Amino acid sequence: MDLLQQKAGPTFSGAEINKKGLIPVIRSVIKRDGRRVLYDQTKIASAILRAMEAVREGNAEDAARVADSVEAKLEAIFPAKSPDIETIQDTVEHQLMQYGFNDTAKAYILYRANRTHTRDANTALMKTINEITQEDAIDSDLKRDNANIDGNTAMGSMLQIGSAGAKAYNEMYLLRPEHAKAFREGDIYIHDFDFYHMTTTCTQIDILSLFHNGFSTGHGYLREPQSIASYAALAAIAIQSNQNDQHGGQSIPNFDYAMAEGVGKTYRKNFLRILTDVIEDKKDEDELQDAVEKILNDVERIQGELAKLQNSPDFDYRLAAALSDGMGIAREDMAHMLKRVRARALKRTDKDTYQAMEGFVHNLNTMHSRAGAQTPFSSINYGTDTTPEGRMAMRNVLLALDAGLGHGETCIFPIHIFKVKEGVNYNPEDPNYDLFRLSCKVSAKRLFPNFVFLDSPYNLQYYVPGRPETEVATMGCRTRVMGNVYDPSRQIAYSRGNLSFTSINLPRIALESHHDEAAFYKRLDELLELVAQQLLDRFEIQAQKHVYNFPFLMGQGVWLDSDKLHITDTVREVLKHGTLSIGFIGLAETLTALYGHHHGEMPEMEEKGLEIIRHMREFCDKKSQAIKMNFTLLATPAEGLSGKFIAQDQKRFGKIPGITDREYYTNSFHIPVWYPISAYDKIRLEAPYHALCNAGHISYVELDGDTARNVEAFEQVVRWMHDCEIGYGSINHPVDRDPVCGYVGVIGDVCPRCGRREGHRVPQRRIEELKKLYPDIVAFRGIE
Amino acid sequence: MENQAVEKDNEVILDNRDEKLGEGVGFERIRRITGYLVGTMDKWNDAKRAEERDRVKHSLAENA
Repeated sequence: MDLLQQKAGPTFSGAEINKKGLIPVIRSVIKRDGRRVLYDQTKIASAILRAMEAVREGNAEDAARVADSVEAKLEAIFPAKSPDIETIQDTVEHQLMQYGFNDTAKAYILYRANRTHTRDANTALMKTINEITQEDAIDSDLKRDNANIDGNTAMGSMLQIGSAGAKAYNEMYLLRPEHAKAFREGDIYIHDFDFYHMTTTCTQIDILSLFHNGFSTGHGYLREPQSIASYAALAAIAIQSNQNDQHGGQSIPNFDYAMAEGVGKTYRKNFLRILTDVIEDKKDEDELQDAVEKILNDVERIQGELAKLQNSPDFDYRLAAALSDGMGIAREDMAHMLKRVRARALKRTDKDTYQAMEGFVHNLNTMHSRAGAQTPFSSINYGTDTTPEGRMAMRNVLLALDAGLGHGETCIFPIHIFKVKEGVNYNPEDPNYDLFRLSCKVSAKRLFPNFVFLDSPYNLQYYVPGRPETEVATMGCRTRVMGNVYDPSRQIAYSRGNLSFTSINLPRIALESHHDEAAFYKRLDELLELVAQQLLDRFEIQAQKHVYNFPFLMGQGVWLDSDKLHITDTVREVLKHGTLSIGFIGLAETLTALYGHHHGEMPEMEEKGLEIIRHMREFCDKKSQAIKMNFTLLATPAEGLSGKFIAQDQKRFGKIPGITDREYYTNSFHIPVWYPISAYDKIRLEAPYHALCNAGHISYVELDGDTARNVEAFEQVVRWMHDCEIGYGSINHPVDRDPVCGYVGVIGDVCPRCGRREGHRVPQRRIEELKKLYPDIVAFRGIE
Repeated sequence: MENQAVEKDNEVILDNRDEKLGEGVGFERIRRITGYLVGTMDKWNDAKRAEERDRVKHSLAENA
């Protein structure tokens, strides 16, 4: 009070008018959104009071007086008009300082600034949500950021809105300011940022352990499956369930070994059923199953093996003898019957297996996960099981892939990965060489399988024959997890995965360095440290989660050692089996910016490129040893990222030829897609990077359709990959399909089969004729 | 004009043999996007579409 009187304050004309009962001059206020609302002086007074209380300066009476003075000022500026919010706030600041409430003025200004920041963020968020809600995906790049999500559907939009909200929250509250700045400005890219505080990336699901123990997906318990149909169905359910706990890919590392068990169980069932039928027919009796099964059990016990696709040589001899005695059938007849039973059980089981594999592939292309917005991102690895059962499973899953979906469409999930290994399937004398050949044939038509090469030294170092968990498997587009500094006794593929990854904008660093190599490496080191810290920050958030936050991944023991945890335990220690990965994009543009050429153009650049990537790998290795956690180097898949960094860099540096003049940066260490080079050279030049990028890598070459159809040529390319020590590779070729006549192959402007142009019509008569010529059009089944 | 019901694969198709099919039906084009495939290129983001457009074929002519 004294304070106010000491100041030569202005007169309180507005308030006086009020007190006299006259109509105040100011009757309304214009809000930020343009709406006009009734003027209420008490709102100004209470805002001032809040600021005063925050800095312990002044009281309610002071606040009222300042509010009065604000009103008076406003009347002077806006006689008979409505002031807007910003002007009112400016006036409040001004009057607070006029009256010497300096601390209050500061608090009020800070409060205003914070409100503005939040409002801006909210406005941006609302704009994003508006785009998701109002725009069609065809017009909105945002809605096509991840090709796996259909942004036009209800669940797809809901997922995208949730994602936008989570990103806004995470940036405001969870990132250190220096990390937020680097992320916002495009020095680094934090992948799956919307899931920052929720979960980890991906897992190799060991479905055999899962099946042996039985498992639960929420309501009810699933017992160990007893047929190939159940094995296949539950494998799909395991992928779907785990996908609800993680945002990244779900993979099965041991598809062949696991399905082999199911094939074995189905074979034994079929064998017993057909054997019983044949004996019942022969004896013209019914209800003999129990008696036949008892004899079979006895023989199995003595032999120490169940009836399977290939039993030891004397199994059938003994079985025929036992059945002959037990059933009173002549020995010779029984032996002959048994041969027939074997042949029929084999045929029946092969058919059952095909149906199971067909169902599995169809399931994974249609079942939804993640709030129903996406099909699970699924992969299956196989190739090395040499048992007849495993081979039967693989052959049929390849045939199902080859046949395609209901109308012959190419399956997009799961990703099939064939594990190539000398002595197992690589050479013509190897037991699974036929399956390797079949893989090439199918991939030449359907783009899958991709190939993982176990003989490459950095993969071979982990390989122990007879222990499939030591075979490198890949996940999703390329992720690889093998080494383990946290627990060196567990350098395995199973039950592990990536925790999170962040990519560095390499071309940006190169452009900032102005051809100065030392400056480049200095900045690279700064960013490597920054990213490592950010990954550790994210790990801290993940580590505080409990088993109950991951009901399937941790609750069902899918993740390594999670079976040892209680439901309320935190997952910190077991998560350390996973990897923290540092990724990168645009090595080609980086080299061009630094030295004028990329690694496809001149031999000197090959070594320069490797120097950079080796430097990054050494950083990861050192960090791993220092912290005893698995820091690994990733050749980032960069689907959404492909256009993000370069758009920011174009604003900063303009369009520099060979560096920022396209809409995307070149993927990881790849030779640019537009650069003419032979398939052999591309593979040879990219192979050394596979050894360095231990968190994952892929190389592919583009073949024209006719070359790809040449299976010999196709196999030669795969063999070249093997010999160059590629880790993971695939061959791209155009796979087009005309839904009208069913043709699958290369289609230019005109369909080579029915002759129609895109969108044009063709007489049904012609389609009927073609159906006679190509009866496989709709119900296409396998390769002869 | 002959109209007849043809039964195939438990599916009954009205066979109007002079009718024309395919109005507005496009060709499906499947390409590898990163390591996985996408059912239709309509769902690709702008940058990946541009990258796909720029891809050149690699010849098998010379073995280095």
